[in-house]
Amino acid sequence: MNDPGQNGFSNHPVAAGELSPAEATLRLIAGLPAPQGLEERVRARLAAAPRRGRILSWPAALGLDSGWMRSAAAAAIVCVVAGGGWGVYSRVQRQQPPRVTVLAPRGPAQGSFASSGAVRTPQTLNGPVVAHPPAAPPAQIKDAAKTAPKPVHRARPAAADKPGGQAAPSAAK
Amino acid sequence: MSAGQAVFSGWMEIPESAVRDEAGRMAADETLAALVSQYAGTLYRVAFSVLRNPADAEDAVQEAFLRVLRHRRTLDEVRDRRVWLIRIVWNIVLDRKRRAKTRPETDDVAELARVLPSDGLSAEEMAAAAQHHAYVLACVERLPAKEREVLMLSAFEELNSVEIASVLEISESSVRSRLFRARNLMAELLQHARSLR
Repeated sequence: MNDPGQNGFSNHPVAAGELSPAEATLRLIAGLPAPQGLEERVRARLAAAPRRGRILSWPAALGLDSGWMRSAAAAAIVCVVAGGGWGVYSRVQRQQPPRVTVLAPRGPAQGSFASSGAVRTPQTLNGPVVAHPPAAPPAQIKDAAKTAPKPVHRARPAAADKPGGQAAPSAAK
Repeated sequence: MSAGQAVFSGWMEIPESAVRDEAGRMAADETLAALVSQYAGTLYRVAFSVLRNPADAEDAVQEAFLRVLRHRRTLDEVRDRRVWLIRIVWNIVLDRKRRAKTRPETDDVAELARVLPSDGLSAEEMAAAAQHHAYVLACVERLPAKEREVLMLSAFEELNSVEIASVLEISESSVRSRLFRARNLMAELLQHARSLR
């Protein structure tokens, strides 16, 4: 260890002049004594510090200290990790590219006027106008059919059955 | 002996390597305890010169020895343990100071008067001395980092230029040139302060 006060910096030519108060202050602070009980506190802190965990050794009877066993274990670990990674990768579906139909921009044809953004809308055709009132619902039609009087069938004239015979004159005539 | 008993006895067996590790650990602990009793005070003073706070300085010393504890297996490879320990605590305190970015506690004149020794000085003289020291320390803080570090380490009597170079991991000629610049800058700062007064 060096002799105190002889570290080679005290006899610097500048030190004797302006810097003596500055270095005196620094040396005063550097020479302050350590607080009482510092060593005990440091030792207590070191004793309370967590030590590295003990590593269990493989049982000697299994002979796992050999190199090939370690290599096999390392290869198995690599296989498990790689297989797991491949499993995750194969299950994750790739993102489908968006299906977007690109439409050609609407622009004026060559040599014509621009439409100024106007969109042609076809005129809506007028539908047929119903002149008559709407038909009655089917239930009413059935009721009406039930209550209506049955038509009377007239007996055919005998002459109509005969071939070449004349039919009876209709009532309209 | 059955196979199961053989396996069980294999688990219970203490290998020779573990015994050697245990012996090495015991030896390292003894070495560490010797280092604590030998250099704790020196490390505290180094830490205090930068942090200027007793609690922070002690905490830095404890952290330095905790780092040594983690690397106690490499203690035999260290040539100069004193310089090695000072370098560790120096890096710790610089890192803390960088992180804190706060004014050191003892820049307060009253706190500085409490910390500094009073060699038969009156209260007024103590107050004046504390004020002067606080001002000088403020000037030191205004120095560039490289020059300030060399100047502060040069204040330790037990460190020569080679050891300061080893702590700062620079060449000895760099130590001397930085110290020269630091002294000139300090002279300018103090001269400027006197002219302002």
